[in-house]
Amino acid sequence: MSHKLLEVTQVVKVFGGFRALDGVTVQVDAGEILGIVGPNGSGKTTLINVISGLYRPDRGTVHYQGRDVTGWNPTRLARRGINRTFQLPKPFKSLTVEQNVDLAAHYGKKGRPGIADPLEFAGLSNIRQQSASQLTTAQQKALDLARALATAPDLLLVDELAAGLNPVELDALAQKLLFLAHQGMGLIVIEHLLGFVNQLTQRVVVMNAGREIFEGTLTQAAENPEVVAVYMGE
Amino acid sequence: MQTFRVEGRLLRILFYAIISGMLFGLFFALMSLGLNLLFGVMRMVNLAHGDFVMVGAFIAYVAYTHGILSPWLGLALVIVILGGLGFVLYFPIGPRLTGSYDPEMLSLILFFGVSQILEALAVMVFGNNPVAVGYHVLTVKPVNLLGQAYQPSWILAAGVSVIVILAVYGYLYHTRLGYATRAIMGDREESESTGINVHRVSAIVFALGLVTAGLAGVLSPLVIGSIYPTMGLGLTITAFAVVIIGSLGNPLGSILGGLIYGISLMLMETYLSTWSTMVPYVLLLLILLLRPTGLLGKGVRRA
Repeated sequence: MSHKLLEVTQVVKVFGGFRALDGVTVQVDAGEILGIVGPNGSGKTTLINVISGLYRPDRGTVHYQGRDVTGWNPTRLARRGINRTFQLPKPFKSLTVEQNVDLAAHYGKKGRPGIADPLEFAGLSNIRQQSASQLTTAQQKALDLARALATAPDLLLVDELAAGLNPVELDALAQKLLFLAHQGMGLIVIEHLLGFVNQLTQRVVVMNAGREIFEGTLTQAAENPEVVAVYMGE
Repeated sequence: MQTFRVEGRLLRILFYAIISGMLFGLFFALMSLGLNLLFGVMRMVNLAHGDFVMVGAFIAYVAYTHGILSPWLGLALVIVILGGLGFVLYFPIGPRLTGSYDPEMLSLILFFGVSQILEALAVMVFGNNPVAVGYHVLTVKPVNLLGQAYQPSWILAAGVSVIVILAVYGYLYHTRLGYATRAIMGDREESESTGINVHRVSAIVFALGLVTAGLAGVLSPLVIGSIYPTMGLGLTITAFAVVIIGSLGNPLGSILGGLIYGISLMLMETYLSTWSTMVPYVLLLLILLLRPTGLLGKGVRRA
């Protein structure tokens, strides 16, 4: 029996009285990009936090490569090949750009091949020796991507990496993510910019209030009355 | 002629106060280093820090009562005993504290309890009276330097402190584990996602924090004289002052803080000795008023 790379089944996450995730089920295959869109507070980042182990789900399961990894901590998942970028990256400022990535390669990689030079890939090869405390926001995001890639993930969760990029940079980033998927990596991409998501994938999940309200292509989503209601207001 | 001689004498006294203040300050830098490490890496406020210094002092005392007249065995024993204890003790308490909603406040309460327990245990075993640890070096003749006599015991304590501090810096800035430690000081979540085993590294740092406190304890008879079970509280307060003067969460700050504390204390002892015990508090207040993040602080403290 063959497994999907990632199977998230009926995951519930409650904060106090607020159901941030209310029974979410998503699946990603190796080499596939899944886009997740939805308004602020719809649970997108919470879902990534559950998959990457930062939050333990209150109900439901997360299976990765056929194994139940529900409730594993982020370190263990990172070593097993699940990694993520942060919406607000916090690179290790007391280290250089290169040391940031070296740490990830040393502690996270565990024998998987991965990309030869993540810093080159992220476009940071000219500032390797610079202190991570001197980076612009865009460079911090690039470094966060390089750090995640240095652990040679099989599943990469990308949380709003495109925010604040210009059209040329957006296009370059899309090409990079497509390249990663082409190499066999599974990706979940959270993004507000629908055009950017459209460039990456036809398979999109629309979330609202902790639930998926739609799965399909973006074009279909635009015709779905519930999606339109969420986006345009009722 | 007369005034020249007086000025020369005054200058020598000032010089003496500064040099002895530096020797004293290096000891206090070591004494407070662990407090800063624990806060930087785990956001733990170790209110029992001074009591671990006391434990180190009594480990040395036990060695001394068995006829060991040099501090070296005490230093080695502290590394083994407090290092092992710290590493093992971390796992039942560390993950719970760091995962709690307010690690700073909860650790404060927890370590207040630890402090009470350590004090009570020490009183039960060693009694309430101060005891002396008569290291051989305390009987050695003072060293003459530029017309002033310095205690060899102070020089030894400062020397060992420098070596230990350098070793901790070697660890932090020249080993991969040290890089990982500084990564955790930067951001715990990013460190976890980087694959760093945050709890194992934290356990090492916790052990390191107790060991440096204990080593200062072994050296304490050389600098502060007799030892007693309740000595921890005063030392904890001094360590807090030193750490906050330097800057909380930045281990480099402990050295600066220690030196400033030591030199100001010695200047006060020289010129206004009855007021000298106020030095840590006055410095603490001044820093909190003028530069609340500490001298090396970058405004990163969220406490």
